Amino acid sequence: MWPIINGLSKWLMTTQLSHDMAGGWKWGWATCETLHFVGLCLLLGSIGVLDLRMLGFAKHIPPGAIHKFVPWGVAGFAINLITGSLFFIGAPFQYVKNIAFLFKLIFILIAGLNIMYFYIGGVRKQIENLGPEDTPPLGARVVSWVSIIAWFGVIYWGRMLPFVGNAF
Amino acid sequence: MGDIYQAMENTGFAFWVRESGSLWSYPLILSFHAIGMGMLVGFNWALDLRLLGVAPQVPLMAMERYLPWAWWGFWLNAISGVILTFADATTKMTSWVFGVKMSLIVLAVIVLIQIKKQVFVKHTSDGKVLAAISIALWAFAITAGRLMAYIGPVSGLKGVTN
Repeated sequence: MWPIINGLSKWLMTTQLSHDMAGGWKWGWATCETLHFVGLCLLLGSIGVLDLRMLGFAKHIPPGAIHKFVPWGVAGFAINLITGSLFFIGAPFQYVKNIAFLFKLIFILIAGLNIMYFYIGGVRKQIENLGPEDTPPLGARVVSWVSIIAWFGVIYWGRMLPFVGNAF
Repeated sequence: MGDIYQAMENTGFAFWVRESGSLWSYPLILSFHAIGMGMLVGFNWALDLRLLGVAPQVPLMAMERYLPWAWWGFWLNAISGVILTFADATTKMTSWVFGVKMSLIVLAVIVLIQIKKQVFVKHTSDGKVLAAISIALWAFAITAGRLMAYIGPVSGLKGVTN
């Protein structure tokens, strides 16, 4: 596995995009960092309103209605996937040898599997027809807790990148 | 003033936060600051989006229930932010970018309070203009916060990661 990661990282560093991100484009890194935080807020807020409703807060809101915020959370994730990939392309060796990065990816994977379970495992259907005041089923509450813990974990390990490893 | 900032920076707690090298000091406080930002700006943006017409089936008045969660984020960041400021006081307190960031946050919080008053308490506004201003102010505040690592005085203190 390592030779492949190593080779890919070395190849990435030969690309023009990598040079641009690593200083060629003067404000590239700072711009992407700022957008990464904007994406973080958009994701956490848009998913957070659904999670909290599924935990029983804001009960006047029909869960099916608050679900309309999900595309905005997806937009936040897309911003962060793009900017995050640009960091990786710009300085791959800050990440491939960084245990915090591995933990961050694991937490993103947990969040992703949790979302898959929400849609494919039937939880989405269960909450769709809940009215205001209805208490969500156990499955929905578990999905919400996993979501909150997973995204907090992603933020925590992202913030640890410069301290545990060598990323700036 | 410089003496005061120096004294802030040299308090035992500020010194420990900055230079202990422990993952439970500066790094943990910084991650709290990121999570608090996500809660405060995230829930505020969700409210703004609803005011601007997203998810119209959500009863507008019920969105007020999310405001306390934005405030939890605010207080988490007020506390973690004060600690981070103490740890790097000579740089932060003399940085004009830091001043811009704080001013933008004050304005954004004033707008949030106005949304609460005009939309949820007095019902005198649909909140659309306030929501648009709110979205922009938080985006600028985040930008200013990030630029503190690049513009103006940037800390060279041991343990401070910009």
